[in-house]
Amino acid sequence: MSRYRITGRGRVDHGATVSFTFDGKTYQGLRGDTVASALLANGVHLMGRSFKYHRPRGVVTAGSEEPNALIGTTRGPGRFEPNTRATVQELRKGLVTESQNKWPRLSFDLGAINDRAYMLFSAGFYYKTFMWPKSFWDKVYEPFIRNAAGLGKSPTEVDPDRYASRNLHTDLLIVGGGAAGIAAALVAARSGARVVLVDENPEMGGALLSDPAVKIEGQGAWAWLDDKLSELRALGVRLMTRTTAIGYYHQNFVALCERLTDHLDTPPANAPRERMWHVRANQVVLAQGALEKPLVYDGNDRPGVMLAGAAQTYLNRYGVRVGDNVAVLTSHDSAYHAAFDLADAGSRIAAVIDTRRDIRTDLLDAAKQRGIEVLRGHSATGTKGRLRIKSVRVNPVQGDKVGASREISCDALLMSGGWTPSLHLFSHTKGSLSWDADSNTFLPDRKTEACHIAGAGRGLWGYAAVLEDGVKAGLAAVEALSRTAQPRDLPVENDRPGTGVSHTELPTDRSPGKAKAFVDYQNDVTAKDLRLAVREGMRSIEHVKRYTTNGMATDQGKMSNINGLMIAADALAKQPPQVGLTTFRPPYTPTSFGAFAGYLRGETFQLTRKTPIDPWAEAHGAVFEPVAQWRRAWYFPKAGEDMHAAVARECRATRASAGIFDASTLGKIEVAGPDAVEFMNRMYTNPWTRLAAGRCRYGLLLGEDGFIRDDGVIGRLSDDLFHVTTTTGGAARVLNMMEDYLQTEWPDLNVWLTSTTEQWATVALNGPNARKVLEPLVEGLDLSDDRFPHMSVAECTVAGLPARLFRLSFTGELGFEINVPARHGLKLWEALMESGRAHDICPYGTETMHVLRAEKGYIIVGQDTDGTVTPQDAGLTWAIGQKKPDFVGKRSLSRPDIVGKGRKQLVGLLTEDGSQLEEGAQIVLDPHQSLPMKMVGHVTSSYASATLGHPIAMAVIEGGHDRMGEVVHVPMPDGVRRARVTSTVFYDPEGARLKA
Amino acid sequence: MLLIHCPYCEETLPEAEFAYAGEAHIARPADPSTLSDEEWRDFLFIRTNARGTHFERWRHIHGCGRFFNAARDTVSDRFLTTYKAGKARPDLSAVKEAAE
Amino acid sequence: MNTQKHDFTAAPVQIEELAPAARFSLRVRPDGRAALAQALGLDLPGGIGDRTADGGREALCLGPDEWLILAPEAAPLAKAAASVYADAPHSLTEISDREITLRLSGPQVLDLLASCCPRDVEAMPEGRGCRTVYDSATVTLWRDGPTEFRMDVWRSFLPHVLGLMALTKAELQAGL
Ligand SMILES: [Zn+2]
Repeated sequence: MSRYRITGRGRVDHGATVSFTFDGKTYQGLRGDTVASALLANGVHLMGRSFKYHRPRGVVTAGSEEPNALIGTTRGPGRFEPNTRATVQELRKGLVTESQNKWPRLSFDLGAINDRAYMLFSAGFYYKTFMWPKSFWDKVYEPFIRNAAGLGKSPTEVDPDRYASRNLHTDLLIVGGGAAGIAAALVAARSGARVVLVDENPEMGGALLSDPAVKIEGQGAWAWLDDKLSELRALGVRLMTRTTAIGYYHQNFVALCERLTDHLDTPPANAPRERMWHVRANQVVLAQGALEKPLVYDGNDRPGVMLAGAAQTYLNRYGVRVGDNVAVLTSHDSAYHAAFDLADAGSRIAAVIDTRRDIRTDLLDAAKQRGIEVLRGHSATGTKGRLRIKSVRVNPVQGDKVGASREISCDALLMSGGWTPSLHLFSHTKGSLSWDADSNTFLPDRKTEACHIAGAGRGLWGYAAVLEDGVKAGLAAVEALSRTAQPRDLPVENDRPGTGVSHTELPTDRSPGKAKAFVDYQNDVTAKDLRLAVREGMRSIEHVKRYTTNGMATDQGKMSNINGLMIAADALAKQPPQVGLTTFRPPYTPTSFGAFAGYLRGETFQLTRKTPIDPWAEAHGAVFEPVAQWRRAWYFPKAGEDMHAAVARECRATRASAGIFDASTLGKIEVAGPDAVEFMNRMYTNPWTRLAAGRCRYGLLLGEDGFIRDDGVIGRLSDDLFHVTTTTGGAARVLNMMEDYLQTEWPDLNVWLTSTTEQWATVALNGPNARKVLEPLVEGLDLSDDRFPHMSVAECTVAGLPARLFRLSFTGELGFEINVPARHGLKLWEALMESGRAHDICPYGTETMHVLRAEKGYIIVGQDTDGTVTPQDAGLTWAIGQKKPDFVGKRSLSRPDIVGKGRKQLVGLLTEDGSQLEEGAQIVLDPHQSLPMKMVGHVTSSYASATLGHPIAMAVIEGGHDRMGEVVHVPMPDGVRRARVTSTVFYDPEGARLKA
Repeated sequence: MLLIHCPYCEETLPEAEFAYAGEAHIARPADPSTLSDEEWRDFLFIRTNARGTHFERWRHIHGCGRFFNAARDTVSDRFLTTYKAGKARPDLSAVKEAAE
Repeated sequence: MNTQKHDFTAAPVQIEELAPAARFSLRVRPDGRAALAQALGLDLPGGIGDRTADGGREALCLGPDEWLILAPEAAPLAKAAASVYADAPHSLTEISDREITLRLSGPQVLDLLASCCPRDVEAMPEGRGCRTVYDSATVTLWRDGPTEFRMDVWRSFLPHVLGLMALTKAELQAGL
């Protein structure tokens, strides 16, 4: 075992070694380690290269805020993830990891040349460097940017993992399982409330895990934790670890991402990797603690330089000393405890360098006892060491005077610039912040949600204060839930309270222009960059941020925001709140796309509706197309047929004898009640009063604006009952529109609407032999033309099934639509196929349906209309009940712009050269006009017509109805086509075939 | 995702069960043929587009199916109240005070 | 730390398709409710979500003027309602084939439902029902016991709903 690991110490399992690789080298860690703690135990600090300058970087933190130690992890084929924080990734057997932003290797990187070309990358370099000369763009800048852009490598394979999601409703959600969160949970759970407590770490406890010497209620911190967590569990509290609250939305809606398998050696079969929780909480307690700030000085990014709190965590939680000879640089009391713990664990403390002069005597005494030298009122002005820190240069500071320097050798440099309350989630709610001048930080102020903030998250320090505050927050939540609680005091011994001061860059005796004093490690932003941005005119922190990219990396400036603000404010000679704080946005930490997608991928990516006859189509080789939410049989190719051949055959067979088509997706609405006919009169353009029971009619539905919304054949089954059909895609919309009018405009009407789309399976039978196919199966109805003429409807029995039978046609041939209860749809289809065998019955799909209807000039709403087409435009004036006093959209039909000349009108088009036009192609009158040409319309439908032996098209053209016989021009990619304007009815204009 | 109180179900439920249905209190004229082109245009197209309190309609489409009215603050996205279709605009002063 | 629950033998949820029964959507105004109730021999509950059952027939109030009626047979019910149509105009539309009913049960059935239902199903009292949404599909949910539900799903939405349920069931079986 490595000499940096202290046997028996920490919360790792010293009996269980776990091996893993980093950049190809195998290391041993312990169960419970993160990659970062395991590498530190092996004496490895260098874990990555920085994004812009490729500077060698070590781990800085021990948590999810880590800016430097980003690694790629591989957990098997397809399971590569870039930018994983080494401080978060737990060790698992066989984990393969690699560093990022290096070439050819971490210890020797050619990209580090960027570090020398520092000037090229100063603030605003995105905006300046790549501007000039223009000719450099293609050859130099763009390849450079493409090469440099992006953090880590993108995975190249489809993610094979499963992801899950879950809704959760609770009385109280507590974010953060540290001292404050647990205290709040205890109060609330004891009151009987439903409580959910989440923490992003593998274990609850927060900072207490790094402070085992603290005693609460007379128990050691860890024993107390065990105790209280068992109690919470027993009280039914849902304790969720490895669970990050990533976003806080309206009305206490909080999204949690739970990581389930990344830490497991062998995840159980089918286990999701992550689960997104959609939590709706009555009350929320935010107890997210505080994040430690770095200090800003030249060379503060060398491997071995890390936050003091992180070193304390590595020691106490993982049993890892981060160095043998450790220097500590601080402006806050908290770093002393890291120094003392490390000293007690056997590391030498080279010195504590405190920027402050006045230091608490108990800290000084404790340092003295341990023989630790404390340098008061000192600054750090530089560090040395290429791949690991070797020494830190320190100078005394008196007023503005920086004294003579002294070199202190060390193999690790801990720093603490104080603590920033973690207010990200609070910011998501648009809660306002107020600047606390004493602690130089923002604190939560006005709340917009039912939430309570507790502990270090609102600037408190020391366990006694934090626990008390947690109890208070728990009580407030309990009261808001109208429950009662008897809170208990939580006395603390060996507490570690503390205060500190804040700084901009530390003073230096060297030229500040030469200092590489990093503020944002991840985006390589220095203090000098921030000052340059201000000099170049950036005034608001939002501008400074975008100009320098400070805080714009994946860590969202968790460590850099306040330091950046302090420096920008100083450069502007303003108070920080006048310069402002940038807005935090979800997610709190980077979150996988998989977690957002959840179950909605692959087969379940989106809802696909299938008809009862779909299995037959699938079994018979149908090619499908999506239509609205449905998948529909598009065509049924026979061996060797392409789409064109299959559709031509289907069309010919239907016109020659009989075709069969699954029309089950048609929307169906039952309109029932004494006022049904009145309702129909008001909704549809057509007159319905005199439509007899047993007859049907084409119905046209407009919006109130006069434009066509939907159409379909509507049958009157009895005086009080209509069977309305809608387009496939319009079904839900039409029902919603009808309900809207009925509920809010005409609530007095005694009529009710019920969707029966799925009650019925619908089969359309078309062709001159349609009757011959159907007749043998029908009982209780005479199908002859005089007894059951075109546009009739009746209830009868078909193939032994109760049926609603329509005689109608969307093909121009003799046609029937047979509706049977959906469970029998397939049975009906098979009976018709059997009966039709003698007539060469041909199943056809939506493409043939489209061709056959276009040959007859029947429109498809949504294809030949686009929401700006009136009945007149579409040539459907005949469908308007002119004598009706009112119907939806009637008033609009006399609007000036609708009766005016030059509207686009639906016409037929035949090309002179017999070629097929493209749907969507634009139409011009004069092909020789100058560009841009005036477009007078476009092709809405275009098909090869096997029946006619030439292509046909429909189009909307300005004043089209007055252009019959004229030639228009259709520019296509391979040349301009001449086309003659015709009627839209290309086949059997007299309609003789319908009446067969 | 918002929570919406359905005045018919008398339950506060997730937004996913509801559909937005435009501005409220725009009644269809009893006899549109008597309206001038300008009046009809205003009925069809002119909406208040309020910054602040907006009276609007929702439908509990995956629930009881009823259209109802709501007053929502378009700045904070907060529902001030919901009420049944056909009811007059409620007095919001009490609700607003409580929300302050 | 790192405890793993692996219990592959337990069945966290059962998902069964029930045989079709007669199902109607009844719409009637408040003043006609009593007449319909009498004709159908079934109390029509007044509160949305309330249910009644009598002689094999069940009623669930889905809206202020809407009830879902289940019966062993369709014809007698339709006939009974028709007899009072003149005095109590209404719409009674057969939708037996519109939905397919699933029976969902098992110790983790609430987790199954919470995977795709945004509403608080756990808080729904036994013996009640509601129309709600499961992922993007409208469904009718009946709570018959602490861990027992029925779910009516529109026929064409069923493959999608069952696909999601299969994923969640596998997830629950994985035990994490
Ligand atoms: Zn409702």
